[in-house]
Amino acid sequence: MKRLAPSGEMTLGPFFPREFAQGANDLTVVDGKKAAGEIIEISGCVRQADGRPLDNVVLEIWQADAQGRTDNPGFFGWGRAATNSDGIYSFKTIKPGAIQGRAPHVNFIVLYSGLMRALHTAMFFDDAKDPVLDTVPKERKALLIGKKTPSGYRFDIRLRGEGETPFFDD
Amino acid sequence: MIAIERRDPRTQSQGVEPGYAQTDRRWPAQPLIRRPLGASELSGPIEVMRRLQPVRGDLAGHGAKRAIGQLIHLRARVVDEDGAPVAGAAVEIWHCNAAGKYIHPNDTHEAPPDPNFYGAARLVADRDGLIELRTIKPGAYPVPDTGGWWRPPHVHFSVWGRVWLSRLVTQMFFPGEPLNEKDAILNAIREPEARSRCIARLAPTEGGPENALVYDYQLVVRGRNGTPAMP
Repeated sequence: MKRLAPSGEMTLGPFFPREFAQGANDLTVVDGKKAAGEIIEISGCVRQADGRPLDNVVLEIWQADAQGRTDNPGFFGWGRAATNSDGIYSFKTIKPGAIQGRAPHVNFIVLYSGLMRALHTAMFFDDAKDPVLDTVPKERKALLIGKKTPSGYRFDIRLRGEGETPFFDD
Repeated sequence: MIAIERRDPRTQSQGVEPGYAQTDRRWPAQPLIRRPLGASELSGPIEVMRRLQPVRGDLAGHGAKRAIGQLIHLRARVVDEDGAPVAGAAVEIWHCNAAGKYIHPNDTHEAPPDPNFYGAARLVADRDGLIELRTIKPGAYPVPDTGGWWRPPHVHFSVWGRVWLSRLVTQMFFPGEPLNEKDAILNAIREPEARSRCIARLAPTEGGPENALVYDYQLVVRGRNGTPAMP
């Protein structure tokens, strides 16, 4: 069968509708029911090269349920949040379990004006052995590990510059 | 399992684009890291509509109140790299009005808003991967502080495919627009053929609807089915 080339990805642009960005950042409720597991908040700040926090950045996540499954009908591991004018985003979710062969993690994509396409990264919960985390140079690994807070974890994203978040190419 | 091939830099844009200043402040300076792909990256989210609501199916007004502009009918088809339709794919669409103004607080362009225009739709593809939307053709607009960069008329698409890595955010352009030749975003797709696939096709007007121009577009999301084709 002839392969079709995937469509060219392009920037989200600065005018992603606000109504699209709202209301999808709580993963603890699925079809009106509470999902099983430890509820955590994952939040952080998104900044550009000069350190300025960015408004209306769209972040989407994909994660396993508390048992490390991605096909549990009682949990849906996808969510979306947008940063506010202080660059802050927040998700309410369930702490994921380990998918076979992996350490617990949350996949992230970042969509924004000035990014020619989506940037992929992932947040981990500690410096565990993991085939994806192990591809990151040792001195940058800590940038992918969420910092414990009273309500969950903090995961700041620096698109470029000092403390730049490691991003993946697939 | 769905198979994903590495992005082809001839048909995909990335990095810092000289004609688009913000890319220099936002695209990572460090090289992107190649990672092994497994169940985490090659699984869902298939049913994002469990967490999102449908939003309008008509951006061109309602009843007798019609948005100003050339009425168009978009027919977009979501397929994977095998050309197989992605039935049930969620598709988000947004664009500016005929004067080049978005419904968005961050749009500082002085063009007038249009009270009968709705700038955003979220639809679900049918079993043939098809979504259809009545709207008006968007206008062109200048990009602030760029010394003369005008965005050609374009429509934004955000699409979910079969797996996490199939996520597609792109823009659709219109044929015959002189501004297409210089646009820093369209022309960041280096291969001419791949670029031309980002431009919609005007359907034959004979036998079409009397009040709207029909544009056809194909959205190819990443991923092939792992099952080999029958000989």
